[in-house]
Amino acid sequence: MSPTKGFDFAGLGLKDALDLAVLIEEEARDRYLEFADQMELHHTPEAEGFFGYMARNEEKHRVALASRRTELFGDAPGTANRTMLFDVEAPDYDEVRAFMTPRQALESALRAEEKAHAFFAAALLEVRDASVRVLFEELCAEELEHQALVQGQIEQLPPDSGLDPADFADDPVGQ
Amino acid sequence: MTTATATLAPKAFKSELKPIWCPGCGDFGVVQALYRALSAIGRPAHEIAFISGIGCSSRIPGYTTAYGFNSVHGRALPIAQGLKMARPELLVLAAGGDGDGFSIGGGHLPHAVRRNQNITYIVMDNQIYGLTKGQLSPTSPKGLKTVTSVDGSLENPVNPLMYVLTYGAPFVAQGTPADLPGLVEIIEAAIRYPGFAFVNVQSPCVTFGEPEQQIKTQKATMESLEGMGHDPGNLIEALDLSRAYGTTLHTGLFYRSPEPPPTFDSLVHERQQRMMADALPRERILEQFIQR
Repeated sequence: MSPTKGFDFAGLGLKDALDLAVLIEEEARDRYLEFADQMELHHTPEAEGFFGYMARNEEKHRVALASRRTELFGDAPGTANRTMLFDVEAPDYDEVRAFMTPRQALESALRAEEKAHAFFAAALLEVRDASVRVLFEELCAEELEHQALVQGQIEQLPPDSGLDPADFADDPVGQ
Repeated sequence: MTTATATLAPKAFKSELKPIWCPGCGDFGVVQALYRALSAIGRPAHEIAFISGIGCSSRIPGYTTAYGFNSVHGRALPIAQGLKMARPELLVLAAGGDGDGFSIGGGHLPHAVRRNQNITYIVMDNQIYGLTKGQLSPTSPKGLKTVTSVDGSLENPVNPLMYVLTYGAPFVAQGTPADLPGLVEIIEAAIRYPGFAFVNVQSPCVTFGEPEQQIKTQKATMESLEGMGHDPGNLIEALDLSRAYGTTLHTGLFYRSPEPPPTFDSLVHERQQRMMADALPRERILEQFIQR
């Protein structure tokens, strides 16, 4: 199942490719913000802090890509919009749980970075425009760097307690 | 009066209210699909009314910018129907869970189907009462162990797809948040359908649901009706496929009546017009009662 809809990568130009890249970062930022809110609501402060950090990182990447787009193409209208994206770099909604550990939160981000890398790697097989190819290769490499960063952070964490987050849920009651 | 604008982004339908669903709940995907479908439809939020019953999923109207009514348990459909009669120009959506729709509200469903008003009814079917912490619901599989069935349920589940098909629903589909693009398409098609449109969404309960009902399993096991070559105009085939409810997760359009029957709202309007045409003018009304 493709995480995008309506993109013809073989015919993709640099303007639309940059717009797509901006939207991917925006989608990921919004998802991490949602996750941070969910964790706040469900009293999981460490994961909340981590998802907030990820949201800020995605926003930084979005701003950098958006600046490049503006420098090259100004306000020229593009064809890409958010309805054409389905969780390219945004972690899936079912990645999170109430009372998840920091390790679990980082692992969900790692899977999201792997997913994004796989997306750009697959798109590169179809891309024909040389400038788009350079951009996607750069983004592919960045996703690998992000994976290494997250992996490094996971390795620094103390081991989990071994408790299942489900152990913290309220006991079901009969009615 | 309706306004069609193709420029409304999905975000235009997202309210400021933050969902309190459990993290990982399938309903997060459903509301996302709804934002996108409404964006594709292009009608502004103030022309949309979203009515729900009671339950986790029935919170959904509050997470949209449409007019919403988180109403009474099992009563989303009667309220939605009344609203559609009073304000036929509104885009009316109804939503709820399987308990809300097929148990306490089960009596309303066949009448909503046979009345065929232009309403889209989205059921977030998780086979459990999640809000009250995990009791058997009408779609819980036989044998399921819960706090109200410690040795396993003895009852067969309701089959919502077969139920609405046999009552004559002109549009019946099933989706899952495990296939977000597919769910967007289904909800959009349901809203565009001129009549009662039923969408069953297999939206897993992350807290009390079974492991095999979760999104990762759904992704691995779901079968697209379109991919199987199913013709959504074939009611008999749709009924046959609906028998697999609970064993195979079929996604897509089960049935769409190729010739949409007239809606109740249009029939009422037609009758009103006819009666008004035949009606005596106000100054002659008494002639019906007074012999001169």
